[in-house]
Amino acid sequence: MGQPTILVIEDDDNQRLLYEEDLKWMGYNVVAVKNGHDGLQALQNETVHVVLLDIAMPGMDGIEALGKILDHDNQLPVILNTAYSSYKDDFMTWAAEAYVIKSHNLSELHQAIAAVLEKRGIAVPEPPAEEGC
Amino acid sequence: MVLAGGEGQRLHPLTSQTAKPGVRFGGTYRMIDFTLSNCINSGLRRIHLLTQYASTSLSRHVRRTWAARLSDDLDEFVDFVPPQRLFADRWYAGTADAIFQNLFILQEGRPDAVVLLSGDHAYKMDYGAMIAHHERMGADLTIAALAVPRPSATQLGVIAADASGRVVGFLEKPADPPGMPGRPDVALVNMGVYVWRTKALVEAVSADARTKSTHDFGRDVIPAAVQQGRPIYIHEFTDPAGSPHPYWRDIGTLESYWQAHMDLIAPVPELDLYDHDWPIYTYKPPLPPAKVVCGADNCAASVSNCLLTAGCIVSGGNVQNSVLSPGARVESGAQVSECVLMDDVVVGAGASLHRVIVDEGVRIPPGFRIGHDPEEDAKRFVVASGITVVPRRVVLD
Repeated sequence: MGQPTILVIEDDDNQRLLYEEDLKWMGYNVVAVKNGHDGLQALQNETVHVVLLDIAMPGMDGIEALGKILDHDNQLPVILNTAYSSYKDDFMTWAAEAYVIKSHNLSELHQAIAAVLEKRGIAVPEPPAEEGC
Repeated sequence: MVLAGGEGQRLHPLTSQTAKPGVRFGGTYRMIDFTLSNCINSGLRRIHLLTQYASTSLSRHVRRTWAARLSDDLDEFVDFVPPQRLFADRWYAGTADAIFQNLFILQEGRPDAVVLLSGDHAYKMDYGAMIAHHERMGADLTIAALAVPRPSATQLGVIAADASGRVVGFLEKPADPPGMPGRPDVALVNMGVYVWRTKALVEAVSADARTKSTHDFGRDVIPAAVQQGRPIYIHEFTDPAGSPHPYWRDIGTLESYWQAHMDLIAPVPELDLYDHDWPIYTYKPPLPPAKVVCGADNCAASVSNCLLTAGCIVSGGNVQNSVLSPGARVESGAQVSECVLMDDVVVGAGASLHRVIVDEGVRIPPGFRIGHDPEEDAKRFVVASGITVVPRRVVLD
């Protein structure tokens, strides 16, 4: 199998670009879209191994998208990624496999992605000798 | 939260027009009335009814019965919750999925505990005592358990518990049910009555939503929770009036439906409908009193061991060991024994019915015989375990 594919659903252009570049640098395939609707469309067209999902987005927010992603494939791991820890208390987010608060340091995010892939027996790409972020 | 979406395929054709909890029961009631009356009698007045299949007649009944008994001002309600198709674009895939799709309700209310019930069981139970037990034990989940002789438990969900009442195993239809600690001759049967710590419930159904399963509490969620070693305890079911033989039935089949009616007409029924301290509420249509009179040619009527309801007329017929729903009529010389007649059924003069369930509005022609020749009955009706069911809208001549 080739590199695992991560679907990034994030409305903030800068944040999305950051994730796209960082995760590609880490050795992943990345499909990056800016809202829940485009994310669901991407799932129809791509083989995705992990979804990285923002919550506060215009239109279909991350909570609604989470339900619909699980409706599409309930084995697909979803990592919620938000700046607001208060969402963690919302029962509607509890079906996500992991919850990572946004931070300039992406190591927690890298660890969460590696953990859900390893749980499914999917090889995690070897990180470069030195992390870029 | 009351699960009321059951299609009730094994009760077909009685469920051809209504969900299982909406099926007529005991002459005057619908099945849902037992669970909802238990809620009200136990002080639970914020009720979500999770419906899915053929709920029009059920919702009409619940509105008529319960709207006036609850106060909007006090935030009391029975709310209907069909699949919203918002959080997930599907029907309820199972009992656990029904809760998962409605987590927003729990998020809004943030209750400490959720009482999770089925809308198609006949029993009287004080959920308040069970909630108190749940809190005392500090449980994630408390399961109501009925003690039955072990041989009777082989077709049911059976709970293995230790001496403290902690659940250590959960078995579906075991060939050799485990006995209770200190009472090896009896097994504990799962009644489908649960008290969940809310956060434990949300964790359990959210985890189940990510697994390939039937999304069923009994088959998937609770066995997984037991395996994880969560604090799960039993609450042994007792009758609110202190009867030594507490009555609980899951009315799942035509045979059990018929048998539960025969239980009701016993001289001293185990399910006492005449207990003023634990009323079973229902909608009472504006019908005149039941009437038993002589028929044509002064033919005397004879009625014994029966439940008669408002609007029934037995004119010269012979009715034994039967339950007659509102508006049912038995005409001169007709014989009705061990039968359940639904609303507005008419049994014509000289007809003879034995062990028959006649669905709503059917007219049995004069002289017609049902329940005496199973092979002949099977050509036109549903015959199961010696019981014949005449579906609604059947036209007989």
